[in-house]
Amino acid sequence: MKKSGELQNSQQAASKKITRQKVLLGLVGVFVVLLAVLPLFASGFWMRTLTLLFLLAAMAEGWNFIGGYTGYAAFGNVAFFGIGAYGTALSMLRLHFPFFLALLVGAAAAMLFAVLVGLPVLRLKGHYFAIATVALATGVGEVADFWTDFTGGAAGLTLPFFRPIQLSNYFFYYMAFVLVLFGLGLTYFIMKRKLGYSWLAIREDEDAAKMMGINTTWSKVVAFALSALMAGLAGGIYAYWNTFVLAEEVFKIEYTLQMILATVLGGPGTVFGPFIGAFIYYILITLLVFFLPVGQLHATILGLIIILVMVFTPQGVMDFLSGRKRLTLSALLENIRTHKV
Amino acid sequence: MNQEVIFETQGITKYFGGLAAVDNVDMKIYKGEILGLIGPNGAGKTTFVNTITGMLRPTRGRVIFKGQDITGWPAYRVGRLGIARTFQIVKPFLGMTVRENVAVGAMFGHKGKNRTARQALEKADEVLEFVEMGHLRNHFADQLTLAYLKRLELAKALAMEPELLFLDEVMAGLNSREIEEAMEMIRKINASGVTLLIIEHVMKAIAGVTHRVFVLNFGTELAQGSPEEVLNDPRVIQAYLGEKFVERQRRMQQASPQQ
Repeated sequence: MKKSGELQNSQQAASKKITRQKVLLGLVGVFVVLLAVLPLFASGFWMRTLTLLFLLAAMAEGWNFIGGYTGYAAFGNVAFFGIGAYGTALSMLRLHFPFFLALLVGAAAAMLFAVLVGLPVLRLKGHYFAIATVALATGVGEVADFWTDFTGGAAGLTLPFFRPIQLSNYFFYYMAFVLVLFGLGLTYFIMKRKLGYSWLAIREDEDAAKMMGINTTWSKVVAFALSALMAGLAGGIYAYWNTFVLAEEVFKIEYTLQMILATVLGGPGTVFGPFIGAFIYYILITLLVFFLPVGQLHATILGLIIILVMVFTPQGVMDFLSGRKRLTLSALLENIRTHKV
Repeated sequence: MNQEVIFETQGITKYFGGLAAVDNVDMKIYKGEILGLIGPNGAGKTTFVNTITGMLRPTRGRVIFKGQDITGWPAYRVGRLGIARTFQIVKPFLGMTVRENVAVGAMFGHKGKNRTARQALEKADEVLEFVEMGHLRNHFADQLTLAYLKRLELAKALAMEPELLFLDEVMAGLNSREIEEAMEMIRKINASGVTLLIIEHVMKAIAGVTHRVFVLNFGTELAQGSPEEVLNDPRVIQAYLGEKFVERQRRMQQASPQQ
């Protein structure tokens, strides 16, 4: 009797979860359609802002593979962005590749780097892994900055403009937009498959995952390489859009922080979390910088908001959107307790 | 009983620095049996299992499974070959549902290669029925009681469809009714054709379900034989309860016929 009651309960919970998922999926669908037709109405300013936002969302989707699903706190993903940017730019300038081919070369270079670096570095765990990735990203940035013969060094690389120039805004808007959709599709595709389950298992308990037959090294390297793919593509698009590549610009550690923040704000380890989180991050930043008369305090206030979000919803807003938790005071307090604040 | 050896260690030794946690252990496991592995705390039981399943590399010695030398193989290859284990300190995948937890075993275990994720989820349902946890399949693992977490460990290992299963203290912390249930489950698993090695401190369970018992003390073999023999062996009692207890027992035995 008790068993069938429990069964019913869990079935009810499951069906409720499914309807909620459908609603969420519908909302995201409407939103995506709106974004697809937006360039018909929007000004150049908004299109450029959204293009940047999409590039961030795409990188966050990539970070979500290694940081969100696999649970490895990668703090150097900007390296992939930078390598993608340099790879694309150098292929276009030195090899005279057309943009799309150059973009693929840039992304492939980022992935190759992720594999080579991932094999040793992904053996580290926790803080050690995080520190190693920071060091690597900084190191690659330095190489790009000082290897003047190859990368142009401090003078940077100047790329040709996209032509016809009046379509430039549209081209890059849709490039970035398609990249975001590709990221969503890729995430959904993987998480329905064994690879996705292996990431979750590694995140939850790597020893148990190993013992259950998961080749953890391979799974982790793939996660790292796919996060490099997303960041590398974003970097390549950014390079051509910006028509200028400079090491201290494309290897800025802020980009890593931004992708982590977007993922964490939205919901790490969820399909839509990084996408939603990128919007939340941009809305916060834009509000603070442009519309609040707080001067140089905006970074402080952003930091404060992030701390509050982390304390109250460590799983990001997806926790509430997906119905896993209800937005109630007790849920928030429970989150604080689990944080041992 | 069938005398075919399914698993064998030859001189397995594991040093941590200068300390031999496992020292020169020869063990044979026969196909179809339930072998109990006992020994006082710190005797090296868990280290022994870690060493032969690829979690740790042995310092010396060989591990042979079905005639194949698997010494030093990484854990995931050992798992895929048909050896599964549970962990003394349970290792559930907390952020996943019970069904997904078990499905991971079906995906990557012994016969996982031929399965898609969807087929593995179906296999998980089958295993959950077998261990009588079907009604909990959509719960997240962090909602389970300890008894169910232990059983989830078992389900995850069973979903790998192993030929040989190591159970590391699946009964520790359970109450006596739960222990009865766990013993019943172990018999049921064995009856389905799985060879078992169970590490256990609950002597009732060792006496109740095992065919043979192997005793480790200070990392070396102390005794092996039938449960009755081993559990009444003065050396084993001494290892567990100390010299004084053995003496007292002897005195009591000598004293009682005179009265």
